Amino acid sequence: MPPEQTSLLQGTLDLLILKSLALQQLHGLGIARRIEQMTRGTFQVKPGSLFPALHRMEEEGWLTSTWGESENNRRAKYYRLTKAGRKQLETETERWGRISLAIAQALEA
Amino acid sequence: MRLINLIRKWSHRQKEEQDLDQEVHAYLELLTAEKIRDGMTPEAAARSARIELGGTEQVKEQVRDVRSGAWLETVLQDLRYGFRMLLHNPGFSSLIVLTLALGIGANTAIFSVVYGVLLRPLPYQRGGDLVVLHQQATQAHLSNVPFSVKEIQDYRGYNHTLDAVVEYHNMNFLLLGKDLAERVEAGVVSANFFDALGVKPLLGRTFVATDESPNAEPVIILSYQYWQRRHGGDANIVGRVFQMNDRPHTVIGVLPPIPQYPEENDIYMPTTACPTRSSAAFINNRDSRMMTVFGRVKPGVTLATAQADLSAVAGQIETAYPENYPKAYGYGLAAAPLGQDLARRARATLLVLLGAAGFVLLIACANVANLMLARLLKREREFAVRRALGASRVRLMRQLLTEATMLAVAGGALGLMLAPPVLSLLVKFAGQFTTRAAEVKMDAPVLLFTLLLSVGSGLLFGFAPALYSGAHVAETLRQAAAQTSSARKHQRLRASLVMVQVAVSFVLLIGAGLMMRSFVRLQQVDPGFRSDRLLSLRLSPNFNRYQTPQLASALSDNTLRSIRALGGVESAAMTSNSPFSPRAIANGPSSNDFEIEGKLAGNGNMKPSTDVTLVSDRYFETIRQPLLQGRTFTEHDDAETLKAGIINQAMARHRWPTEDPVGKRITFDQGKTWTTIVGVVGDVREYGLDHAPGDEIYLPVKQFGFGSGLVVRTSSDPMSIYPLIRKALHDLDPQLAVDQAETIERRQEESVSSPRITAILLGIFALLALVISASGIAGIMALAVSQRTQELGIRMALGQPRTSLIGMVLRQGLAVSLSGTALGLIGAVALGRLLSSMLYATPPTDAITFATVSLLFVTVATFACLVPARRVTRIDPISALRQE
Repeated sequence: MPPEQTSLLQGTLDLLILKSLALQQLHGLGIARRIEQMTRGTFQVKPGSLFPALHRMEEEGWLTSTWGESENNRRAKYYRLTKAGRKQLETETERWGRISLAIAQALEA
Repeated sequence: MRLINLIRKWSHRQKEEQDLDQEVHAYLELLTAEKIRDGMTPEAAARSARIELGGTEQVKEQVRDVRSGAWLETVLQDLRYGFRMLLHNPGFSSLIVLTLALGIGANTAIFSVVYGVLLRPLPYQRGGDLVVLHQQATQAHLSNVPFSVKEIQDYRGYNHTLDAVVEYHNMNFLLLGKDLAERVEAGVVSANFFDALGVKPLLGRTFVATDESPNAEPVIILSYQYWQRRHGGDANIVGRVFQMNDRPHTVIGVLPPIPQYPEENDIYMPTTACPTRSSAAFINNRDSRMMTVFGRVKPGVTLATAQADLSAVAGQIETAYPENYPKAYGYGLAAAPLGQDLARRARATLLVLLGAAGFVLLIACANVANLMLARLLKREREFAVRRALGASRVRLMRQLLTEATMLAVAGGALGLMLAPPVLSLLVKFAGQFTTRAAEVKMDAPVLLFTLLLSVGSGLLFGFAPALYSGAHVAETLRQAAAQTSSARKHQRLRASLVMVQVAVSFVLLIGAGLMMRSFVRLQQVDPGFRSDRLLSLRLSPNFNRYQTPQLASALSDNTLRSIRALGGVESAAMTSNSPFSPRAIANGPSSNDFEIEGKLAGNGNMKPSTDVTLVSDRYFETIRQPLLQGRTFTEHDDAETLKAGIINQAMARHRWPTEDPVGKRITFDQGKTWTTIVGVVGDVREYGLDHAPGDEIYLPVKQFGFGSGLVVRTSSDPMSIYPLIRKALHDLDPQLAVDQAETIERRQEESVSSPRITAILLGIFALLALVISASGIAGIMALAVSQRTQELGIRMALGQPRTSLIGMVLRQGLAVSLSGTALGLIGAVALGRLLSSMLYATPPTDAITFATVSLLFVTVATFACLVPARRVTRIDPISALRQE
């Protein structure tokens, strides 16, 4: 259990999902674990937030999914980025950079 | 693209659901496997994974919510489910649909009339710019003085804000065809009349300026209705020549089937074709006032600007002719939108009826809300289960609102079917107030109103139950029966709904009671004469054959002699204005200035005025109007003898309060001729029972020639003698047209038909409201008893007498009814004032009405409470206690 839970803003969750899929395709639990790992346990994604987000992003055309075999031979649905998804990742990353910079500056001022 | 996507998704819905299910389960399995790997036992891992997931159904529902087209799917699902629920309970559903249909149907019908008469734009080009001009003499309390030719010329010449000033008056003429003389109603208009209204002819042409020049050949235009009725829609009518006023008149056109304003006419003619209007004496006399005047405001000019401009013209006229417009009269001019003016007499009644119908719908909605709440008690478990399975509260509220709206729309559809027969009655009713009633129809705006009304009432009565849905999931699930604490909250809400019902129905009942009382009072009014066995008819001789007063007077004598000679006729007389004639009621008394000998008003001062009626000898004896002083007219009161006049009691009291009026002389022409008062007769309400008698002078008809009204008192049914009278008149002169034969009794009845119908309609609404409210009271009482069965059983087992139990339950119901009544009392006092203009001799806070209605209400409420309360006596304490 992480010491504190940060509530996930929708935009942030989208960005984290896109980022987690940047290098490889993953299934739902895989994505959740990857996000935990990337944020060192700061963000824990609940299925109730994860699945609606995945389906929404798939409808937007950023993700595509296929059924495949998991590492321990179970059927699971794998998500990966589409071309539009990569582009979205770039834009979101760039936007986040601007925001975090701005906030950091604001807090230092 | 999006749409295609939507459709594709829609068609793959089944597969997608399966996918989602598998995906969530796969997640669960993977999570479990992970936990086992971390060292948990399989059972503990499965349990922990399920808790972490938070319920597969909830997760799936959340995914469904974000999908595109989710709302559509939900709505369809709600509709399907709602439809099943409603079919599942057909009695309940049809009761609600029927209640709503009555409410919505009544509102639709009345709104159709309100829209057609008060709201719809006039069916003329730039109808909104048309104004009607009223000359006023505020100090003399005259608000609608007709115009003279000189005045029309002034307003036409000196205004800056109107682009057309048109004149109109109505006359009836004898149209001589091949076989018989026919009386036609003629609209006499200025040549620009149809152009100003933007009316294009169906056949031929409308008037042009040259038709109105002094030496123009007389031309006429036929109305569509007259053309159809009398000439069978003859396509070759244009060019046909008719004899009228001893001159040939050529038909130049036929009007399209438009509603005619300000009244329905058979034919139209230019002012130059009307013998009265075109005579030099009439044109040159500034005081010969007869015409109605309309104007069309120039584009972009506001009514206020036009009013200011016309008032300025009025000021110029007043200054220029002080003889004709004495300062003391307060001469002025008022311009009113034509549409508003035409509906003036209908407005109050229609709005009251619309308000009443709205109230009925409100009560119906409250009742339906109550029924839905009652049923919700039974569905509480269902809703709790659905909540537990992942349905959000909003979703459940939406489900209830969907069901309510479905019911309301069904009610609206049925209401639309009920509306037309009611509407046709209402149109006839509205026709008594305004010619615009002819335009009433159920068209798009009315249908839109009905749709909005249906959806609106659905939301209204669905809202209360929706608020209470699924609020107490855990509690409900734990309870075996549906008797939760929310049931008590329901009870409170239901009681307040019933209270509102009671209050609103009380207000309606008071309204209906006041109207009925006013109507009864009106009917009991003594008209001042005996109206039974009295026949009235209209005579129209071809005046060109009786041009001298001697000839006309001889015709009067001959007419009366031949009628009086008939068997079955007790007496007969002539008059210029028979009592309760529709025209007299619509126009009211005339106002003729006079001066009393020895009390001349002098220039610039206000003269007394009076209504004038011309009557023949034996008139007062025929209608049985009592002679109080002096004598009545004889056949010898004609143009040759002393000019005699008989005044009514009101005038005697008003002008000679301390003296004997008999023998006094008055003049109508500044002392040129004098009329001697020879008698005083009782007051007669000939302009309507609600019209208090004003000053009136009767002059002998033979001094002027001929009266167009004939009144005949018969010894048996007047209508059975009418054919004999008709034949006798025809024998006397075949060109003497006879029409409008009706008994005065019937006219008297007709004169009060609009207050009667208003009272009846309000009565029906109020009764409907009372029944609905009574069933509402009975409903909550029944529920209260069934919910308290256990408590009542215990009390009974402990020895409380049944009568005291009934009293206990009764008190609860009566408390609701009485507080509703108190609320209604306040409302009735506040709203009663709105009715006051429609009430005759009845104050809006009439004590007897209030007392009667309150008593009726409390009686009905007691019965409504008593029926379910008596169920208490049927409670068996043993089974009541075992119920748990």
